[in-house]
Amino acid sequence: MSRSWLLCGMKPLQGSTHFSLGNQKVEKRMGCQQSLQSSEVLKVRTIYINDPLKNTFCTNSISTTKYSKWSFLPRYLYLQFSKAANAFFLFITILQQIPGVSPIGQYTTLLPLLVILAISGIKEVVEDYKRYMADKVVNSKTTSVFRQNSWHVIKWHEVNVGDIVKTLNEEFLPADMILISSSEPQSMCYVATANLDGETNLKIRQASLEVAGIIKEGQLVNLDGKIECEEPDRQFNNFVGTLYLRGKSPISVGPDQMLLRGTQLKNTQWIIGVVIYTGFETKLMQDEDMHYEQNDLYAMARTSNLNEELGQVKYLFSDKTGTLTCNTMAFKKCTIAGIIYGNHSDNTDDGNENLSRASFCEFNDPKLLENFEDGHPSSEYIKEFLTLLCVCHTVIPERCGNDILYQASSPDEAALVKGAKKLGFVFTTRTPYSVTIEVMTETHTFEILNILEFSSNRKRMSIIVRTPAGHLRLYCKGADTVIYERLSKDSLFVEDTLKHLEIFATEGLRTLCIAYTDLTETEYQDWLQEYKKASAVSQNRIQRLEECYEIIEKEFLLLGATAIEDRLQANVPETISTLLKANIKIWVLTGDKQETAVNIAFSCKLISSTTPRIYLNADSFEAAQQTINHNCGDLGNLLGKENDLALIIDGETLKYALRFEIQKKFLDLALSCRAVLCCRLSPLQKAEIVDLVKKHEEAITLAVGDGANDVGMIRMAHVGVGISGNEGMQATNNSDYSIAQFRYLEKLLLVHGTWNYFRVTKCILYSFYKNVVLYIIGLWFSFVNGFSGQIIFEHWCISLYNVIFTSLPPLTLGIFEKCCSQKSLLEYPQLYTVFQTGEMFNTKVFWIQCINALIHSFILFWFPTKMLEHDMILRHGYTTDYLFLGNFIYSYVVVTVCLKAGLETTSWNRFSHVAIWGSIISWILFFSVYSFFWPIFSVAPEMTGQINMVLSCPHFWMGFLLVPTTCLIQNFFWKLIKNTYKRGLLEEIQELESRKDSILEHSEIFEKRMTAASLAVSFSTQPCEIFFRDDSVDLSAPHGYAFSQTEGAVVTQEELVRAYDTAKMENSRISKRSSDFSEIF
Amino acid sequence: MEKEFQHHLSRMPENSAIKQQKLPAHRLHFSNQAIFTIFFATGAFCFCIGIILLLSAWKVQEIEINYTNICEDCAKMRENALNFDKQCTCSIPFNLQKTMKGDVYMYYKLYGFYQNLYRYVLSRSHNQLMGKDVRDVKDCAPFKVTSNKIPIAPCGAIANSMFNDTIILSYIRSTSEHIQVPMLKTGLTWWTDKYVKFQNPSFRNLSDHFVGTEKPPYWQEPIYELDTSDPGNNGFLNDDFIVWMRTAAFPTFKKLYRRLYRVKYFSDGLPAGNYTFDISYNFPVTKFQGEKAVILSTLTWNGGSSIFLGLAYTVTGVFLWMSSFALMAIQGKMRKKKLSHRR
Repeated sequence: MSRSWLLCGMKPLQGSTHFSLGNQKVEKRMGCQQSLQSSEVLKVRTIYINDPLKNTFCTNSISTTKYSKWSFLPRYLYLQFSKAANAFFLFITILQQIPGVSPIGQYTTLLPLLVILAISGIKEVVEDYKRYMADKVVNSKTTSVFRQNSWHVIKWHEVNVGDIVKTLNEEFLPADMILISSSEPQSMCYVATANLDGETNLKIRQASLEVAGIIKEGQLVNLDGKIECEEPDRQFNNFVGTLYLRGKSPISVGPDQMLLRGTQLKNTQWIIGVVIYTGFETKLMQDEDMHYEQNDLYAMARTSNLNEELGQVKYLFSDKTGTLTCNTMAFKKCTIAGIIYGNHSDNTDDGNENLSRASFCEFNDPKLLENFEDGHPSSEYIKEFLTLLCVCHTVIPERCGNDILYQASSPDEAALVKGAKKLGFVFTTRTPYSVTIEVMTETHTFEILNILEFSSNRKRMSIIVRTPAGHLRLYCKGADTVIYERLSKDSLFVEDTLKHLEIFATEGLRTLCIAYTDLTETEYQDWLQEYKKASAVSQNRIQRLEECYEIIEKEFLLLGATAIEDRLQANVPETISTLLKANIKIWVLTGDKQETAVNIAFSCKLISSTTPRIYLNADSFEAAQQTINHNCGDLGNLLGKENDLALIIDGETLKYALRFEIQKKFLDLALSCRAVLCCRLSPLQKAEIVDLVKKHEEAITLAVGDGANDVGMIRMAHVGVGISGNEGMQATNNSDYSIAQFRYLEKLLLVHGTWNYFRVTKCILYSFYKNVVLYIIGLWFSFVNGFSGQIIFEHWCISLYNVIFTSLPPLTLGIFEKCCSQKSLLEYPQLYTVFQTGEMFNTKVFWIQCINALIHSFILFWFPTKMLEHDMILRHGYTTDYLFLGNFIYSYVVVTVCLKAGLETTSWNRFSHVAIWGSIISWILFFSVYSFFWPIFSVAPEMTGQINMVLSCPHFWMGFLLVPTTCLIQNFFWKLIKNTYKRGLLEEIQELESRKDSILEHSEIFEKRMTAASLAVSFSTQPCEIFFRDDSVDLSAPHGYAFSQTEGAVVTQEELVRAYDTAKMENSRISKRSSDFSEIF
Repeated sequence: MEKEFQHHLSRMPENSAIKQQKLPAHRLHFSNQAIFTIFFATGAFCFCIGIILLLSAWKVQEIEINYTNICEDCAKMRENALNFDKQCTCSIPFNLQKTMKGDVYMYYKLYGFYQNLYRYVLSRSHNQLMGKDVRDVKDCAPFKVTSNKIPIAPCGAIANSMFNDTIILSYIRSTSEHIQVPMLKTGLTWWTDKYVKFQNPSFRNLSDHFVGTEKPPYWQEPIYELDTSDPGNNGFLNDDFIVWMRTAAFPTFKKLYRRLYRVKYFSDGLPAGNYTFDISYNFPVTKFQGEKAVILSTLTWNGGSSIFLGLAYTVTGVFLWMSSFALMAIQGKMRKKKLSHRR
């Protein structure tokens, strides 16, 4: 709860009933959190364009710091004392100030407390300063603003509401803006919103045509008017406003004209926009604002057990885009005329290579070209196939010197066109009604007659062209299911292609089937009539059009299929399999499409082709409930156990599934599956899922993501990991740990998590132990002093116990201790389960340690007591006092406790030696010096002369040998017994490591390891044998279809294609671009 | 979102062994043989030390005479505070069967007297005892000042409750020849007590320096008359006083009272024979169900006749031996199991 993002209203919503009411309700509730929008009447903000003085809104500078100069002290103190431990010590300190209450003086708690407060204060200041510097970097980024009739380069924080801002390609937008005009035809522009919603395809924004022409300085000077729009809120896709320009009728503007801070301009030379929301009022930062508020209160208290939690992660929630995948598509393989092409060797590039080669297409099978050129029987098909790839798409070519760049809102299409280009089929020019391709220096121009648009319903897109030879032809690419339905009886290679598709799908490649059909003139003309009618309809036009498309998309002849690789980050499959072996359950939560998510699950080996997949896609609560109930019923006894199943659910269904009534059932079902994929999720839903698991399962959750849309879950999970990747820094800034790539999770969890857990466990147990040992002695002493409260030790000796004499051993345990080497931990991921299950640290272990401490303190008190009871122990018959006994005991305590640390240490290094022997020596030194303090310093008169008497007493040395030995020999003994009788995997591996002749024993360990493995996970070998009756379960071979394309945008695909004339643009564009630059600078 | 954010270089941790967690480390690993040897050897060592300690403790000669009941009359009398000015002596004859060779020490021992009580321990003024300021009675509650608001010297509960019995040992060589055994009343304290913690305001005219103070309510003489014969043993420097002021750890404790002055008949120690303790009984103990005793003892290098340490060593040694055999048995069993498992 502590780290809920977006969930400003979460606290009151904890009951989760509200959650299940779905986004709307939650969002509504959130709305009320904002004072800006507290009244139900929508307030209107009026923005005067290019007239900053009239606009009085917040500045565009952001600050994510926790403290200011003035708020530091009160806030810091408040935060510190809201920790139970600090509050406790404050209370003790206050009590100690009352004279006579404390037997150990007034300052013995106060001073250490002050030291601790000072140290953590410095840490806070340093961290806050880092945040301040990060903000400063953001605030001082530059952008161009039109002021005083010319363009000025200013810093982001100087941007005001009403400013006219120009942003160039690949730049991030400095504030929320209304698009006025852009370099592209029809004032379109592309933005990457991955940062906000995690979607891979670019979004198209288009300015209102009334203002689209405003490009030149002269026009901007005369741009005079105002924008009326709603007060800022935090909903990304909601915006209503009206643009009033002098001398023009009001123009309404909506989300399609809105450019948000945090998005990145792509494939567009430049845009001009008017700033409407700045700083914390931008849609992006408003959330963020709340994050930090939440962070303030909880992050501090959480940090202490965070490292330890890394070692116990049971559920891993991973984002897909940018986390598992690189978000780059590569044309990898294809099947043409029943022959499979593509490189079959495994690609195990490392990360760097990956990045540099990302833009390249991976297809490198020379056989394809050989077959094409050598007149293989299939060469005609190859030609047709590649031609189709070049023609049937919505990509815009852009000449850049001798090279051609492709702009596409669909990364799949870009990959295909690039792939074709590499094979010699170069798409060169697009005019509104034609496409020109170059094949082997020959130019072919295809006339584009119609574009039958893609939609996720249709799962295909077709294009009707007139070939250079004058034939009418329909090219289609789409999902195997829809294409196969429409194949002609004469179609060849159907079986082979299907087999190949299966191979592709199992590898997790995104497949598209490629088919064509020839049309006759009359057939086409008839259809065209229908099409025109459908286009003219005003209601349900899209539906009517789709019906119309159906008529002509038939009798396809199959050419083959393409396979596109949604590139995984380096070593993702390996990492996932290791993590699975470590008994970590992996859930993929993505905003992307279902098909894509399933594909990735295959490609990263999260699910195999034999894994039955349960699809939960329901459009009503009842349907969702029914499906969940059915599946739970089918699982029967296996419910709640881990099965080799995959659960796939979409955001819409999840909304129902999270309703209170079926939430638990859904969770049971999900926990019974080895892999869970949640698709099309809003950031809020991601957080909700994590919250659900966190609440109902007593297990540590970890969320990993890289985009702003992952911040919610990152903050919600116990451990949040941010990938500092392409999608920006929000995730990293809000995470507990940030890593560069998913694969580092393996090391983070298995090595550092395990080590840290081991260390923290040891450190905590040891700290408890040493304190119990010392302070219980006070209890034993009460038995002989009439329960009067007299302390047997000197005040400062007690106070310095944790500060000096026994401070180093827990530190070395906590910093340097290693249960086993990094190599072993990575080699045997099963070791992780030892820690995950909490065997190392639980109530039992804790009490055993406490009882052990009790026994030690018993020995440490009563042995010296019995030794000194006789009183005649010194030469010359001198008698002693209570502090003499105290010093005996204290010395023995320090020795015992330090040696106990040695017994606990499995990995000795020079610091361990320093800590253990140094601590003992430090006490002796302190004791020596301290005995001479009085009367030079007015402390410790009782200590005067103790050192001589104690050290010259033979009893002291006799006890020095005996007492610690007696205490520790039992620990040693039990440890030996345990190591002989009840040896776990950890002990085996430890022994293996310490032996030189490890080869002999290796097989034995391996046996052990296998049993541990079978305990943890046993999937890949056994197929699932559950009989599912519900039709939501897909047992068939996987389909690899996935395609991402902008849908339902302002600009339809047809409009987009018709808008560009790259033949004409070439020259004008270059000149225009240079003039743009001169305008700015 | 911003490239500038990724200061990769500056964030790169230092490539040192500590920061990369690659410090050379080794694991303690003992073979079964080594563990067995360690246990066995430690056991043998402990056992030997134990026997040595026991033998040396048995060599010590010690006589303890509890005179709470023997001097019952005096005890009764002391229960009434009004009898404070009356003398009461009590003599206890005893027979020493064997000569106590070497240095002999005389202790008094109190039973049930909690010198380690929290408020009792605090109730003293270190500054006063150092002779810095005899009127400094800050920490001495509840014996800071008299009812007339005159500061008490030495103040505090410890000083006020000082043991004030006088014990005289006489050697009865024959029925007619009673020789008072020569005893030293100095050299009973830690060096630091006599020379650091306790100082008189001045040696000369000691009484002058205590003008303006009052003796503790339970005392019969003021501090400067504790030993008028020896100025080095008078005032705060009085050995009996200093010994008393070192507060004992247990409710039953001994304190060094006198040392044998080894001259004439006593040059070898206390010869066997008949002796008498003549005790002037001043210190009441029956009121708090306490008891008191007088002890004569010789000492060895390791102190008195306590056998605890010797016993503890012996028992630990035996236990370690047993453990080592147990370990051997367990390991043998496991090896057999492993072998049969493999077959």
